[in-house]
Amino acid sequence: MAGFEPQIIAFCCNWCTYAAADLAGTSRMQYPANVRIVRVMCSGMVNPLYVLKAFEGGVDGVLIAGCHLTDCHYIDGPTKCDAMVDKLREMLHVLGLEDERLRREMVAASEGVLFARVIKEMVEQLKKIGPSPFKARTEALA
Amino acid sequence: MEEIRTGVYICHCGLNIAGVVDVEEVAKYAGQLPGVVVSREYRYMCSDPGQDLIKDDIKELGVNRVVVASCSPRMHEPTFRKAVEDGGLNPYLYEHANIREHCSWVHDDKELATNKAKDLVRAAVRRVCRHEPLVVREAPFTPSVLVIGGGIAGMQAALDIANGHQKVYLVERDPSIGGHMAQLDRTFPTLDCSECILTPKMSDVGHHPFIELHTYSEVEEVSGSIGSFKVKIRKKARYVDESKCVGCGDCEEKCPWKVPSEYEMGLAKRGVIYIPFAQAIPNVATIDGEHCVYLQKGKCRACEKACEAGAIDFEQKDEIIEVEVGAIIVATGYDQFDPAVISQYGYRRFDNVLTGLEFERLTCAAGPTEGKILLKDGREPESVALVHCVGSRDQNYHEYCSRVCCMYALKYAHLAKELTKADVYQFYIDMRCFGEGYEEFYNRLSEEGVNFIRGKVAKITDDAVTDEEKGKLVVVSEDTLLGKLIRVPVDMVILCSALQPRADAENVGKILNINRRADGFFLERHVKLDPVATPTDGIFIAGCCEAPRDIPDTVAQAEATAAKALSLISRGTVTLEAAISTVDESICHGCGRCEEVCPFSAPSIVSKNGVMVSEINEALCKGCGACAVICPTGAVTIKHFTQDEILAQVDALTEAR
Amino acid sequence: MNLEDIIKDTNTYYCLECGKCTSVCPVARYDKCFSPRMIIENALLGFEDELVLDRELFSCLTCYMCQSECPSDVDFPVFVREARSLAQGKGQHGICAHSGQLQSLARLMTSPNLKQKRLEWLSQEHRVSEKSDVLFWVGCAPYFEPIFEDIGFSALGITKASLKILNSLGIEPKLLPNERCCGHDALWTGDVDTFKKLAEYNAAQIKEAGVKKIVFACPEGYRTFKLDYPDYVDLDCEVQHISELLAEKIAENSHLSGKLMEIKKKVTYQDPCRLGRHLGVYDAPRKILEAIPGIELVEMKHSGLEAICCGTSAFTNCDSYSNALRAERLSEAVETGAELLITACPKCQTHFRCAQVDKGEEHRPTPKIEVIDLINLVADAIGEGGKSSKKK
Repeated sequence: MAGFEPQIIAFCCNWCTYAAADLAGTSRMQYPANVRIVRVMCSGMVNPLYVLKAFEGGVDGVLIAGCHLTDCHYIDGPTKCDAMVDKLREMLHVLGLEDERLRREMVAASEGVLFARVIKEMVEQLKKIGPSPFKARTEALA
Repeated sequence: MEEIRTGVYICHCGLNIAGVVDVEEVAKYAGQLPGVVVSREYRYMCSDPGQDLIKDDIKELGVNRVVVASCSPRMHEPTFRKAVEDGGLNPYLYEHANIREHCSWVHDDKELATNKAKDLVRAAVRRVCRHEPLVVREAPFTPSVLVIGGGIAGMQAALDIANGHQKVYLVERDPSIGGHMAQLDRTFPTLDCSECILTPKMSDVGHHPFIELHTYSEVEEVSGSIGSFKVKIRKKARYVDESKCVGCGDCEEKCPWKVPSEYEMGLAKRGVIYIPFAQAIPNVATIDGEHCVYLQKGKCRACEKACEAGAIDFEQKDEIIEVEVGAIIVATGYDQFDPAVISQYGYRRFDNVLTGLEFERLTCAAGPTEGKILLKDGREPESVALVHCVGSRDQNYHEYCSRVCCMYALKYAHLAKELTKADVYQFYIDMRCFGEGYEEFYNRLSEEGVNFIRGKVAKITDDAVTDEEKGKLVVVSEDTLLGKLIRVPVDMVILCSALQPRADAENVGKILNINRRADGFFLERHVKLDPVATPTDGIFIAGCCEAPRDIPDTVAQAEATAAKALSLISRGTVTLEAAISTVDESICHGCGRCEEVCPFSAPSIVSKNGVMVSEINEALCKGCGACAVICPTGAVTIKHFTQDEILAQVDALTEAR
Repeated sequence: MNLEDIIKDTNTYYCLECGKCTSVCPVARYDKCFSPRMIIENALLGFEDELVLDRELFSCLTCYMCQSECPSDVDFPVFVREARSLAQGKGQHGICAHSGQLQSLARLMTSPNLKQKRLEWLSQEHRVSEKSDVLFWVGCAPYFEPIFEDIGFSALGITKASLKILNSLGIEPKLLPNERCCGHDALWTGDVDTFKKLAEYNAAQIKEAGVKKIVFACPEGYRTFKLDYPDYVDLDCEVQHISELLAEKIAENSHLSGKLMEIKKKVTYQDPCRLGRHLGVYDAPRKILEAIPGIELVEMKHSGLEAICCGTSAFTNCDSYSNALRAERLSEAVETGAELLITACPKCQTHFRCAQVDKGEEHRPTPKIEVIDLINLVADAIGEGGKSSKKK
């Protein structure tokens, strides 16, 4: 899989993980440029379709990251997000998608280091498992 | 359809961005994206000349959508929204791309960073086309406050607000205000008399022209939202006309029926018609309907005969009072943990095992023993044990530390020494003496000859194994400093019971729509930076309903809630979130999933033209979007974060450059 | 295809503007903006944008009620289907229920090298055979499980019951491990590209499997294979709905008849549009119900050719009017006095179950009746129901 650069979309909650990514920036932590962040107000706002559409678009991995369970600006968004991810994972599993391609993390605003580490880990992991099985579809369409 | 004319502005941020990202190339790239009419790069977009570029383009080029690619939107989104608004556009027709924190500062490869910046800008351009103008609305703020709970927290908050000449409705469940503090004899670490410092405040509350006091009343229903909460208060029938009662106490004296006094922790009796304690505010009698023989069986009316003022009114009914307030302060206090559930401690099994509050009443000059510390048989104890952390710091009951027990245990130790000369043993896990003068008090007690034994008490038994233990209570514990099991025979044991959430905290939480933490206390909005607010705007929490705390902290918190309420009142209006959810009623089934999922009770299922549909209370909605995710039909949309907008962004990010 | 071709292909030129279509249309009764006649008229006048940019284009249930009344035999459902493909070209796709996840899954299944894990639910209890010349079509069931958990619906429950019944008939069918979505919903919402790819993948796999017959528990898959695949792919094998197969076996008096135990219940039957008006299968399910001792079948006010649709098709535009229609149909079911509403289509079941969890008690109570699939009932009758039909 030489030269394969995985493409990742990360849905990050405004209050925690988006801020953690900001902190990673302010602290000048380097992490791979394979990730594109979509800002959402709450991890509980992430619709399963957003993830599916990202895979339709041919991304190799999707990260959904937000506040820790008790830090939510909207009380219990992360719990709802977890429930959504559980169901979605079930479907993606049936589709034959590797579990690693959908990652759910809780990264607090203060955890810039963790954010950078999650991205690094994810890129390494995806490099190992190779391109998404849906990529061929996207390429066929293009 | 309106023609989309997007202006894109790429910020150099000096060399912060331009040092890594080829800003000129990104601007050139953005210029050829569909809908973009102008694309510029500039050294500092946030500077006045930078913002003027945007304003000028709106006016001169008819730009109607704006994208700025610069630092984090958490920093400058408000700045550029303002610029867009000053330029004459709706501030929501703006999208921000973060190419500094999320790009130039975290990637040193120039090509990769430039490509990423292009992607982020492309996604922002795609999304901004779909933005709709949103209206930021202001609603008037009703200049009055409801305070729930008339303990020290509620009284302090009420007084602060009332002293600012704003109306307060203070609702207390019991017949008198005062709360737990009114039951205390002395307060640590200064040992000043609780009553002496509390009663002037109680009196102020009772007579304040800006405080409308409702005792023996409960909040039954709260609707509405910040700025205009509508509150229903149930004023329970006390069968005494408050305006006629002079508080002489003749009725209680004549009442032939006696029941345990709540105020005296059951250590003394009160009449069925009673004034809970001498300094009660309001100083009026209340008939305890549950125990009144006349109300239950139709015979007696002794109090009526005794009352010269003619205040007794057996016809009185519960009354519902409706008020409207702008903010609510919750100061409902705590319950004492019932140590009887820890059966090995023998509470209620052994006469001389007491809780802290019971002991408190024994030491009080106005209490059941007139301030004498006495055993059940009337003797003075020769030895007293204090057991710390009863029900707190214990995985079986409450994991948290109750914060006040170490200090009141020290106070009791001092009082026991002062009033009885007894030997005092403190069984503690850790001594936590963190407040002003607390450590000094601890040191003083060590010098007073109190025995400190580090260990959690295993059991309290009357099963004597030596002669010395006969007729005594034996406290069995490990002494962790000596590393051995010890048995200490004493006459009296005081259990320092945990402070725990009110038994009805869940219900109060539901009425007010405020959440509780796992420990059952009310949840603050932010543990560090917003400790007296709740996630529900306009509702604040003070005192032990939020977590166990001592009097100084409670008072400080109460004052903080008062300041919060007063600042809202002085502003006069509330700004409502614009990016909130909205329901397409032609699609909605009224299934109620949104209502279930919303932590703020913003959606409710209502009947419109005979069809059940969801309706969003715009004042309650915070824009978290959970309802839009759960909606099975696609009827609910969250403005500014619509499915269409986010998918446009996702699509753009997955496309080839 | 352009609009003109679509008009030609579907007899739309022969429209007499009599309006019978609108008068019998179940959607038009609730949704006053929806009128098949107006849609046709816009098309005939060449107002393509008005036609394809209107959200109402996706409100048609394609239930074929209109065509049964049309004096000119205009194939309105197919007209709508083709018009939707024009709409898709302009970025219109109706309002997708369940956030559009199901539509997305279908698109994802057009990926060439999928290695699905769609048969993990299969257990020792089910006998399947690689060598069989009968294929059982599993369809979307494995994907439906998480989505419809909250309404207590288990599509796999129907799949498992089907296998039990086939096994008891001595059939050990083959299952395809990498079967794709049949494409029904893609086709009917105008996403022809997706449909074509799915059809091609499926046809290739079936050819390779070398089976003679495919059995369906889902009328949509059945309709798609029977009527739509032939237009796109070569499919040289017989297709059958499991109710037809069962009715056949009962008529042959196979050993199955003797196995049916008594179920003392009054039931009513919902004709799924695809099975009924699309394919004319009305009798088979009824024959099966008659064969189960103790079952008393009472028909609803509208049944057979006149049966009212469950209210939504292709998980699109599942709006308040769909819901009202659904409530009406449920009332008809309740009015029969039946204890059970039997359907032969998993989607009818999702919709009827969903409507019954909706709020509305105070103002217009949603009629309540237990809904189960015919297959689950039969499985119960042969003592193989397990928990599948009871899942709440």
